[in-house]
Amino acid sequence: MLDSVDNVLIDCDGVIWRGDQAIPGSPDVINLLKKNGKKVFFVTNNSTKTRKMYADKLALMGFNATDDDVFGMAYCSAMYLKKVSKLQGKVYLIGSNAMRQELEKVGIQQTGVGPDPISGVQMDWANVPLDPEVKTVVVGFDEHFSYMKLNRALQYLNNPDCLLVGTNTDTRLPLEGGKAVPGTGCILKAVETAAQRQAQTVGKPNHFTYDCVASQFGLDSARCLMVVDRLDTDILLGSNCGLKTLLTLTGVSTVADAEAHQESGCPERVGMVPDYYVESIAELLPALQG
Amino acid sequence: MAGLVSSRGCHKIRGSQIRELLDSKLNVLFDCDGVIWNGETVVAGAPEVVTLLKQQGKKVFFITNNCTRPRASYVTKFIRLGFTDVAEEEIFSSAYCSAAYLRDVAKLQGKVYVIGCQGVVKELREAGVPIVEEDTDAPTGTIYDYPLDPDVKAVLVGYDEKFDFIKLAKACCYLQNTECLFLATDPDPWHPLRGGRITPGSGSLTAAVETASSRKATVIGKPSCFMFECIASQFNLDPGQSLMVGDRLETDILFGANCGLDTMLTLTGVSTLEEAHGYKDSDDPERKDFVPDYVVETIADFIEAYEEEEG
Repeated sequence: MLDSVDNVLIDCDGVIWRGDQAIPGSPDVINLLKKNGKKVFFVTNNSTKTRKMYADKLALMGFNATDDDVFGMAYCSAMYLKKVSKLQGKVYLIGSNAMRQELEKVGIQQTGVGPDPISGVQMDWANVPLDPEVKTVVVGFDEHFSYMKLNRALQYLNNPDCLLVGTNTDTRLPLEGGKAVPGTGCILKAVETAAQRQAQTVGKPNHFTYDCVASQFGLDSARCLMVVDRLDTDILLGSNCGLKTLLTLTGVSTVADAEAHQESGCPERVGMVPDYYVESIAELLPALQG
Repeated sequence: MAGLVSSRGCHKIRGSQIRELLDSKLNVLFDCDGVIWNGETVVAGAPEVVTLLKQQGKKVFFITNNCTRPRASYVTKFIRLGFTDVAEEEIFSSAYCSAAYLRDVAKLQGKVYVIGCQGVVKELREAGVPIVEEDTDAPTGTIYDYPLDPDVKAVLVGYDEKFDFIKLAKACCYLQNTECLFLATDPDPWHPLRGGRITPGSGSLTAAVETASSRKATVIGKPSCFMFECIASQFNLDPGQSLMVGDRLETDILFGANCGLDTMLTLTGVSTLEEAHGYKDSDDPERKDFVPDYVVETIADFIEAYEEEEG
């Protein structure tokens, strides 16, 4: 199977690490893949780190990786806004510092990052001053998310020409140290509900993430393998893009989940069945070493 | 009842038709925002309408999803806006009814974790429902480390201008226990202020908690029937003899339909006659319940209905 692929797209959380712990054997697998001439890309829906921050984290864990190998959601969202939305004007950002940095790197100015305390009465909130240059509201993971931020987003979105873009819809975000907190999906849902409209989303299972990698590196999808731990977002993306898909069982989804999708006969769920599965990515080691 | 047609007919009525309708009802339930006032501005004639209905021997109730004030504060607002005869017992807010639900229906043994403004907290305290006491002006933890109270048996989500990510994370943790109740004061996605301005409503905060916990909240406020059951349990109301008057088709009118009341849309608030007709002409059977039986320009039209009779 490995001989038939040139490029491997690896999801991070649940596949090569959990929080800040590497899955045993995974650094060796990645490094051997590269040694065997495969291109390896690290793809994640997590928007809290820049490409450089991820590359540093990967290096610390023993992975052979550079900034250019990493496609984190902060970077991908900035690319999406630049290339797909062809963004004019500023962004009102509910998101992390990493998002702000990646946006600035592509020349997009934002307002809103950081804590936003509330004061005054309801009419004050409805009348918050709005930056006239803001044309889009962007929602990513934000530990400073608050009612005031939700309110500002709503006031901008009262203008039907203002766009709403979400980085991803994951409902959980794994933290370093292994705990999980509510994910970007929850914050996005609050904004969508208040504004009574649906966001465009960048992350998996939307295939922009794959397109971003493929267009930068000229990939042939028939010779690409996606290695992931989630059936509903990741495997579906792989199927939609015509990639080979490999599920590892060190993360969210189980074999039982995969079999349930397979037996369902439902056309929407068939795309969530992986081509292959392994207990852990370390199972690829013998094939690579041999 | 000649001249009166109901069954979700969206009939605009005035004068003697209003009189005929009111004569057939013992109880009138009014929504507040957009019906009797808009923000701090009274709907002209509303205080006179309330007095008139009471003189005619009707029971009058006020039923609002707005949970930002406790009932005592609503009484003060009524007086301030010129209503002379509204008693606290006649006011049913979603905060009051949520507290009543926890105490009388759920018979909660344990504490409530509240995401809510002072309006919600005060009603819970008044009802004697134990809540997790937190100093909301000081940080209550970080996303890596937030303390949890072991006695929490219910989570209640309402309008909360101090909502933040930590509260969302805590609520999500409490709700991992399937025996922990999950309540929301009301489903309104946005909250209307005067002049067409809006702020995010309880519904948007509840949506975040539902997404985080993968659970659906039990919603107390309109259009669910709990608030009517709360009034009915205290005042022994017959839905067949009750009229619901509101300004929001998806909230007030649907509420009336769900509880078996006749419904009247007034045009001094959120919904328009065009929207009502849009639902009436829709092919979707579920939309029929959004169509009011009757429509008036303003509740002040009730005054003229009685004057005509006398004139």
